[in-house]
Amino acid sequence: MIAFEGVTKRFEPWVAVDGVSLTVQAGEFCVLIGPSGSGKSTLMKMVNRLIVPDAGTIRIDGEDIAGLKPEELRRRMGYVIQNVGLFPHWTVERNIATVPALLGWPKARVQDRVAELLDLLKLDPRRFRDAYPHQLSGGQQQRVGVARALAAEPNILLMDEPFSALDPITRGALQAEMAAIHKATRTTIVFVTHDMDEALKLANRIAVLDHGRLIQFGTPLDILTNPANDTVRDLIGREDWGLKLLAVETVGQRVRSDGEAFGQPVPGTAPLRQALAEMVARGTDRLPVVDEQGRPAGVLHLSDLVRP
Amino acid sequence: MAAPRPTILHNRVALLLAAAVAAAALTLPFLSFAPNRLLSGRGIPLAGALAGVVDAPWGWAALLPGAVILAVPFLRPSRAVSAVYSAAGVLFAAGLVWLAGAHAAHLAATSAPAARTSFGAGFWVMEAAALLAAMDGVRRLGLPPAWRIAVGGATAALVAAQLAAGHLDQLSILKEYANQRDVFAAAVLRHGLLVAGALVPTLLIGVPLGVLANRSFHVRRLVFPVLNVIQTIPSIALFGLLMAPLSALAGALPGLGISGVGPVPAVIALTFYSLLPIVRNTVEGLDGVPPAVREAARGMGMTRRQVFLKVEVPLALPVFLSGLRITLVQAVGLAAVAALIGAGGLGAIMFQGLFANALDLVLLGAVPVILLAVAVDAALKLAVSLAVSLTGRRAA
Amino acid sequence: MAKKRAIGAVAALALGILFATGGAQAADTVRVSSKLDAESGLLGTMILQVLEANGIPTENKVQLGPTKIVRSALLAGEIDIYPEYTGNGAFFFNIDSDPAWKNARAGYEKVRQLDQEKNNIVWLKPAPANNTWAIALRRDVASPNKLSTMEDFARWVKDGGKAKIAASAEFVESPAALPSFQSTYGFTLKPEQILVLAGGDTAATIRAAAEGTSGVNTAMVYGTDGAIAALDLAVMQDTKGAQMVYEPAPTVRAAVLEKNPKIREVLDPVFASLDTETLRSLNAKISVEGQDPKQVATTYLKSKGFLK
Repeated sequence: MIAFEGVTKRFEPWVAVDGVSLTVQAGEFCVLIGPSGSGKSTLMKMVNRLIVPDAGTIRIDGEDIAGLKPEELRRRMGYVIQNVGLFPHWTVERNIATVPALLGWPKARVQDRVAELLDLLKLDPRRFRDAYPHQLSGGQQQRVGVARALAAEPNILLMDEPFSALDPITRGALQAEMAAIHKATRTTIVFVTHDMDEALKLANRIAVLDHGRLIQFGTPLDILTNPANDTVRDLIGREDWGLKLLAVETVGQRVRSDGEAFGQPVPGTAPLRQALAEMVARGTDRLPVVDEQGRPAGVLHLSDLVRP
Repeated sequence: MAAPRPTILHNRVALLLAAAVAAAALTLPFLSFAPNRLLSGRGIPLAGALAGVVDAPWGWAALLPGAVILAVPFLRPSRAVSAVYSAAGVLFAAGLVWLAGAHAAHLAATSAPAARTSFGAGFWVMEAAALLAAMDGVRRLGLPPAWRIAVGGATAALVAAQLAAGHLDQLSILKEYANQRDVFAAAVLRHGLLVAGALVPTLLIGVPLGVLANRSFHVRRLVFPVLNVIQTIPSIALFGLLMAPLSALAGALPGLGISGVGPVPAVIALTFYSLLPIVRNTVEGLDGVPPAVREAARGMGMTRRQVFLKVEVPLALPVFLSGLRITLVQAVGLAAVAALIGAGGLGAIMFQGLFANALDLVLLGAVPVILLAVAVDAALKLAVSLAVSLTGRRAA
Repeated sequence: MAKKRAIGAVAALALGILFATGGAQAADTVRVSSKLDAESGLLGTMILQVLEANGIPTENKVQLGPTKIVRSALLAGEIDIYPEYTGNGAFFFNIDSDPAWKNARAGYEKVRQLDQEKNNIVWLKPAPANNTWAIALRRDVASPNKLSTMEDFARWVKDGGKAKIAASAEFVESPAALPSFQSTYGFTLKPEQILVLAGGDTAATIRAAAEGTSGVNTAMVYGTDGAIAALDLAVMQDTKGAQMVYEPAPTVRAAVLEKNPKIREVLDPVFASLDTETLRSLNAKISVEGQDPKQVATTYLKSKGFLK
C-alpha cells in the first residue's frame, strides 16, 4: 500500500506537485494520468525517491520512506521507463538479472528466475537469452525492461509511460500482457500515461492530475460516468465518450434472463463494445450470452446498451 | 547489343601503388653512396644495386614480390589475390632492405671505411608502397585489427632477423648505430620512461577532471578553454617557460631533485599536453552514455559508485581508449623534442645528428620514434576493438 | 570537494615520487656533461675518460643539450663540469661589446674572474684552439691567388675576385660576424656573392663550397671544424682579430674542484695539447669519417700518454 500525504514538489519557481494526497491499495493497478506538466511522473518518481518531496510524507505499508536508504528502497521495486534504458553492454540475461545480482541471489536462483521471466514475457530463451539490446526491436526491448523490473519479485512496480514509444500493435500486445501479469502476480502497480484508452484498459483506479493537483481518483467507470471537471472530460475525449463507456462495462453487467437469441454466443466477460460490434456485424438486436463455463447465461438486448 | 568491354583494371589503389613502385624503381636512386659522412653521395639506381649484388639469383628473388605488386591491379579481385598481395607486400618490404644491405656490403668491400651508403628516395618510396600494399591486402580480406598488427610484426621480424645476422651493418644508419651502441638502449628506455612518466599524472589528473566536467557544466566551461590554450603553446616554448620557475624551485628546495632541465620539466610539459585529449575523451565517453540507461540504473537501486563502475565506465571505455591512443602517440612524438632541454631519449640522438648535419644519425633517432608511435597506436587500436566487442558499443 | 582534494593529494604524491627518483644520486661522483655538438661531445668524453682513469668516479651526462641548458644545469648544480668556450662569457655576462673578447688571454682572464666571483665556477686551462667564425676557401681557388689571410681575401675581393660564400643567416646579419669582418678588413660582398643556407651549420656550408653548389667557392666555417682538414679548405687567418676568441676550457663548480683538486692537475695538460690542427683532425675523424667519438678520444689520449 502506498500512501501520499500532502506531497508537494517545487522546481523553482514552478510547482510540479501541489499537496497531493491519495492512497494506492495493495495489489491495485493505479494509473496516474494527466496532460503534460501535470506532475504525474514527478509524483511517481517520489515513490522510489528519485525525486524528494519538499513537503508531505509518502508511506509504503505504513513506513515513511524518507527514513530508508534510497538504494535499498529501489531494489524492492520494479522500475520501467519509456526509453527502456537496457544496459547496452550486457546480454538480455544479465540485464534481467541486474537487481537479483545487486541483492546477492545465488546463481542458480537467478538463472531460474530469468528463464521464468523470459517465458512470462513471451521471449524465446534460445533467441533472446544471450542477445544484446541493440539486436532487439523496440517492443522486445521493453519486454526485457519489464522482465528486468520484475526480476527480484517486487511488491511494487513503477512504470513511467512504458509503452508510449511503441507502435500501436506492439503497444496493444504489451498492455494485454501487463494486465495478465497484474492479474497473476497481484503486484501493486503505479502506471503513468497520458493515454486515456490505455488507462481505461488497464487501471483498477485512475488518478487524474492537472497542474500538480489531484482532480479525481476513481474507477474507470467513475471517471467515465462522473467526470469531475472539464479537464477530465477533455482527457476522456468528448466525442467517443460513449464508446469508451461501452469498452469499460461488460456484457455480464447488462444481460437479461428473458428473451431469445440465436447464433454464436458472446461471453459474459466481453466488453459491451465487442457485443455491439457483433450485433452490427450480424444485423441482429440481441445476442445469446454464456458464462465462463460456457453455460447459457441469458440474452443481451441492443436496447439495454443504452441506458438512461 | 555489344558485349561489355572486359575490365582489365580491377583495383585502383593497387594500381597507384604499382605505379609508384615502377616510377621509383626506374627514376629514383635506390641507394646513395658518399665518400664520407659529410659530402653528398651519388645515387645508385635499383638496377645498379642488383648488378652489384654478388649472389645474383638471390637479388632477383628479393624483387619477385615486387613483380607481384605490379601485377595485382590487373588481376580479378578474390580472397586469394588479396592474401597474395599482402604477403607480397611483406616480402617486398623485407627484400628491399635485404638488397640495400647486400649492396652496401658489396660497396664497402672496395672502399675506404669512411664511405657511407644510405637509403635513397627510391628505396623509401618502394618501401612505403610495399607496406601499404601489405596493409591494403589485409583490409580487403576484412580481417580484424589483430591481423594488421601481425602483418606489421612479420615485416618487422624479417628486418630484425637481417639486423641480427649483421647483414645490414654496412649501411650508414647502422654505422651511426655502432657509434651510439652504448647509449642507444638507454635512450630508448629513457624515451619510454618519459612517456610512461607523463602518463601516470595525466591519468591521475585528467580522468577525475573529465568525470567532473561530465557531471558539472561549470567545470566543463572552465576546463576546456584552459586546456585548449595550453595545447596551442608550441612545445619548445612550454619547455622554456617551465625552466625558470622550476629552476627557482630547485634552488629553493634542493633536496627534492627538481630541476629546470632534464626529465622533470619534460614530464611536466608532456603531462600538460596530454591532458586535453584525455579529458576531452573522458567527457565524450561519459556523455555518450544514454540518459535512459543512467536513469534506469539509478532507479533500479544501484549506488552512484555502482552506476559509475558497472555502467558508465564500460560504456565510456572505447571512446576513452581512443583518447588514450591519441595521447600516447602525441607524447611519443613530443618526448623527442624534450631532448632540447636535456631530457635525453631518442630525441637526443636526433638532435646530435641535426647539429652534426649527419642525416643518418637523425634517422637513427627518428625511425625508432616512428616505430614506437606506430606500435603504441596499433596496441591501443587493438584495445579499443577489444573494448568495443566486450561492451557491444561502437567507439566515437 | 573532498574528491578534488584527494585527487590533488594523489597527483602531488605521484609528482613527488617522480622528483625524488630524479634527485637520487651518489653524492661523490663528478657529473661530466657537454653540449650537443660533436666537438663538445669529444671534449666532454675526454674529460670523462681522463677523470675515470685517475680514480675520480664520474657520471656520464655528456651531450645533454644546447648551450643554455647545459650552462643552467651547471649553475643550478645539476652537473659538475663541462667544456665551455671562453668567448661565450660575453653572452653569459652581457658584455659582448667589450674588446677584451677579441684577445685570447684577456678574454679568458675576464670570464675566469667574473665566473669565479659571481657564480663560483672555475675555468681551468683552455686549449690553444680558436673555434670562432672564419672564412675558408677551396684550395683550388686559394692557392693560385695566394690567399692565406683575411687581408689577402679582402684585397682579392676588392680587385674583383670571384668569391661566392655559403653562410648562415646569422653569420650574414649578426654585427659580430660578417659585418665585423667587412668593416675590419675593408671589403664588401655583394648580395649575389652570398648564398644563405637555412640552419646555419658549417657542415652544409662546407659541403656547398667543396662541391661547388651554385658556384660557391667560399664557406663560413668554425675554426676547429673537422671538415676543413678532410676537404682541404684554406682558412683565411684573422690577423686583425675581427672575431671574438672561443677557446674551449673545462668549467667546473668550485665546490667540486675543492673536493677533487686532482681534476685541475689531470685536465690542464690534456687541454694544453689540443691545438687547432689537432682538434681539427680529431673532429674530422668523427664528423667526416664517422668514427666513434669515444674511440677517437681514447686513441688520442693513449697516444699522448694521458691514458695508459
